[in-house]
Amino acid sequence: MALIKAALFGAQEHPQRQHERDCAGLVRQLNESSAEARRWAARDMADCHDNADALVERLRIEQDESVREFIFTTLTRIGDRTAVDGLVEFLRSEDAVLRNEAIEAMKQLPDAVTGIMQGLLNDVDSDVRIFAINVLESLPHPAVEQWLTEIIERDAHVNVCATAVDLLGEVGSRAVLEPVLRLKSRFAREPYIQFAADLAIKRILEG
Amino acid sequence: MAEVSATEPFISDEDFQKFREYFYRKTGIQFEANKRYFVDKRLLERMLATGNALFRSYFTMLRFQTSGAELQTLTNLMTVNETYFFREEYQFQCLVDSILPELVLRKKNDAPLRIWVLPSSSGEEPYSIAIYLLERWAQINSYDVEIIASDIDTRILDQARVGKYSARSVAQLPQQYLQKYFRRTGNEYQILENLRSAVEFTRVNLSERSDTRPYRNFDVVFCRNLLIYFDDLSRKAAVETFYDALKPGGFICLGHSESMSRISSLYKVRKFPEAIVYQKPTE
Repeated sequence: MALIKAALFGAQEHPQRQHERDCAGLVRQLNESSAEARRWAARDMADCHDNADALVERLRIEQDESVREFIFTTLTRIGDRTAVDGLVEFLRSEDAVLRNEAIEAMKQLPDAVTGIMQGLLNDVDSDVRIFAINVLESLPHPAVEQWLTEIIERDAHVNVCATAVDLLGEVGSRAVLEPVLRLKSRFAREPYIQFAADLAIKRILEG
Repeated sequence: MAEVSATEPFISDEDFQKFREYFYRKTGIQFEANKRYFVDKRLLERMLATGNALFRSYFTMLRFQTSGAELQTLTNLMTVNETYFFREEYQFQCLVDSILPELVLRKKNDAPLRIWVLPSSSGEEPYSIAIYLLERWAQINSYDVEIIASDIDTRILDQARVGKYSARSVAQLPQQYLQKYFRRTGNEYQILENLRSAVEFTRVNLSERSDTRPYRNFDVVFCRNLLIYFDDLSRKAAVETFYDALKPGGFICLGHSESMSRISSLYKVRKFPEAIVYQKPTE
């Protein structure tokens, strides 16, 4: 017993390799009973640009967290409209892990998300509007300040405005100082808004 | 401002942008604008070597060359390979004092313990692990251990197989190990043949699924100071690759400035006395 030269790899080929690795085969393997087989299928589907819908469908029922994480990564890699629509669906999930994964994935897709951001920021569900602001947190897009300003100018929900003004404190320029002051007036009886708006103003002025 | 002559090789902003997007897609390695000089210098070197005066013609060759040889050559130049023996030694201590004892307790068969080291670079890390196991793991005579070391850079892998190092590279090694495992030739120290032959060196592009697919059943992965060169998505894809490369309950060691919790929730954090490492759940 000691250090031995590794016997490369033929003996380790996985039984799943016996299945077809084309996109149709991978879609079928997303429903295998073994989590490992489902992870591999999800991983290999990064090249299956027309099959994001199958990944989204699997995500709706997938219970294994590791498989879910692989599917999110592949959806991010595909990044088309179907993938992004799927991610939006999971923003509405009751499952906090799914929601957070969707937010993290959307942060990686500035181009695809930009087109739907206005819709998300105007969603009837205030939670979705808050999650959309969470996506803006690290979305490298020049309109972020403008979007956040629009929210604090007109959104009626205190938590949505609080989330937006928090973020403006990090990413806003002096151009948002007037809108932040108007937010303070609009929610004059909300102590958190007063606190968050003052903090944002302080941070922006400190540059 | 100096004029650029029509025949002088030149990398424009647009060329740089095109190249960095292509190179990222192929390797997962992201070059920010502050790496511009580093990238331009190497691109110009390869344009000159391949007789392409224009970036456009060089880039076409790079993308469409059937053999992929030029992409490999360029990748070799673009990757950073600087390390030394016993770098971040506390993790090797953790391997022999905490990780391996736990692994052998769970072991149910005679299969070898398997360790995957990447990037291999010029071999300092896999050979350090080999020396550590031989010198500081009392149970080395009771178990077989395989060490596979991988890198995207074929030139550096050749160097690792030869195993010749400068005095600076071996400066952290205790003198008795230097005498026991190296032969001095002039100003260089070469790893002895029996140790060189115990480590398998392979070429792997971590961003290429077909490359990483055969890598399975590892007990420990060392991936130190590589993920810092990747962007968020490539980093996540890389740790997912490790997830299925590891056996259930297997361990991954990252560099001291890298944290799994910022990349993925797939792994459990294990705080051992010597180091924090990450573990695939036992399922």
